[in-house]
Amino acid sequence: MTTATAALERGTRTARWTVRVLVLVALIWTLVPLGWMLLSSLKATGEVTAPTPSLSFAPTLENYRRLFSGGNSLWPYLRNSVVAAGASALLATALGALAGYGLARSRMRGKHHLSFWIISTRMAPIAAVVLPIFLIFRYLGLIDTLPGLVLAYLSFNLPFAIWLLSAFFAEVPPSLEESALVAGCGNWQAFRHVILPLTRPGLVTTFVLCLVFSWNDYAFALVLSGPHTQTLPIAASQLVTQTGIDWGQLTAIGTVVVIPMMLVGLAVRRWLVTGLTMGAVTGE
Amino acid sequence: MTTSSVRAKAPDAAATAPGPGRPRRRPFPGFHGRMMAPGILVLAAVSVLPFVAVVAMSFSRVHLLGGLGLEGVGLDNWGRLFTDPDMAWAWARTAAYFVLTVGGEMVLGTLLAVCLWRLRRGRNAALSLMLLPMFVAPVIVGLLGRFLTDSTFGLYTWLLRQVGYHGDIMGDRTSAFAAVTLMDIWEWTPLIALIALAGLTSVPASVLEAAALDGAGMVRTLRHIVLPSITPVLLVALLIRSMDALRYFDIIWNTTGGGPADATKVASVRLYETAFRFFDFGYAAVTGLLMLAVTTVVARFFVRLLERKELPR
Repeated sequence: MTTATAALERGTRTARWTVRVLVLVALIWTLVPLGWMLLSSLKATGEVTAPTPSLSFAPTLENYRRLFSGGNSLWPYLRNSVVAAGASALLATALGALAGYGLARSRMRGKHHLSFWIISTRMAPIAAVVLPIFLIFRYLGLIDTLPGLVLAYLSFNLPFAIWLLSAFFAEVPPSLEESALVAGCGNWQAFRHVILPLTRPGLVTTFVLCLVFSWNDYAFALVLSGPHTQTLPIAASQLVTQTGIDWGQLTAIGTVVVIPMMLVGLAVRRWLVTGLTMGAVTGE
Repeated sequence: MTTSSVRAKAPDAAATAPGPGRPRRRPFPGFHGRMMAPGILVLAAVSVLPFVAVVAMSFSRVHLLGGLGLEGVGLDNWGRLFTDPDMAWAWARTAAYFVLTVGGEMVLGTLLAVCLWRLRRGRNAALSLMLLPMFVAPVIVGLLGRFLTDSTFGLYTWLLRQVGYHGDIMGDRTSAFAAVTLMDIWEWTPLIALIALAGLTSVPASVLEAAALDGAGMVRTLRHIVLPSITPVLLVALLIRSMDALRYFDIIWNTTGGGPADATKVASVRLYETAFRFFDFGYAAVTGLLMLAVTTVVARFFVRLLERKELPR
């Protein structure tokens, strides 16, 4: 890098400090709610709702202990969340890999319209989709079943997975499968043993983002789940009752819901830009 | 040096050479068609079917008790749209909410990205920490917002009291609207920052050098060189966020539930209430189709943008 850029990169002293202060302010604004949630979840019942916020308290895991024990423990909710979100993300990634590859390589007419249709199903307002799905599921007896929830989650995960993976596949030069075909591979073998291994980051990113979307879903689970299939977000919102809210428990549930998604999300940070823009922007 | 780009063609980039030399029977629908079939069929089942259903519902009265039934009522539900002042208000609020959240996120996100870009040390750590809100379930954002703004023990209530604001944040129409807007901004500004930063890191160093040699200061460089070159990326960010902004209603539903006095009752909240509180599925379907129309227009722009060849790579 030349001295001119170096000078620009460095900027003036004031500019440097302005940038640092602004980043610090943004970090505080971002992290205070999360930090406060975590701290509150470690407080004893009376301390959580003390009128004057306090940072000095004896940390206790009491809230978590109560959460995971007793008659209405969090375990079934956790299981439902893991099964519904996991199965939906897995199915979406598998079907999305097949369809995304087909879409990326196909030269059929009307492909343009197919792509548009796929993306538009991803963009449909959740409230507008939940409504007819509720009636259809009621008709088919799929309300309060995990397969129903998985299927409903596919309505937003599948178009996302197809579109994103097709962007990843489009990056792989077609000459690769061509040489595999010349070498005697079938179409499927070329896909399975040549292309798929090359798009592993794409597959992982797709799976993770689908997992986050369905794990965090509230609207579908609110309408389509019942006593047997309620997920963690529903468990959290149910703590809000007419008689009052147990904020110690609520902040603990919040922490349980949030931490796993932060970990898996940051694990694919390198591909997050590509993933969240569905392949429109690539970073790094 | 990291690079980034806006892809010229999304899943469409394969207009390339035909298969290998040896002659081959091409059965219909062909390998690619068969690859697409399972996904497309499942997608059709979970999207076309509901779409047909919601259109049918919009022309019907829906009976839930004593077996599911649709009773045709012609254009009644659609007609109500024009004589329902509450609905017009819901859409006005949706527009305001949309402009404030998406606008705020775009401005703050771009600013944040520029700051992170100028940061020499700790950029990665700062970015990772800033991305955290994106992974928080919107329900939790809503409930946490409620916790922070509670009139007796909320942390933010307490902080505002220190600077002389004594109102009940969620009890007042204006401040409740501001609060739900800020919660959305809190959660989604990082997304814009992340996308904009990807655009910024792709601005070639040579361009910046040239600007510096010509004596352009930081502000002028940003305005005349950096911003124009990340415009396509910002547009992608804007469209992604726009489509999602209309999708979610979890935050509002779990904080104010549309109140106080309907101050935060946007179209999606109104739809949910119409359907699952008043069980008026026909009218809710009309609202849903209207929302669908709005997002389709946005999606159309998105696809056009991705297909424009002149976008930089």
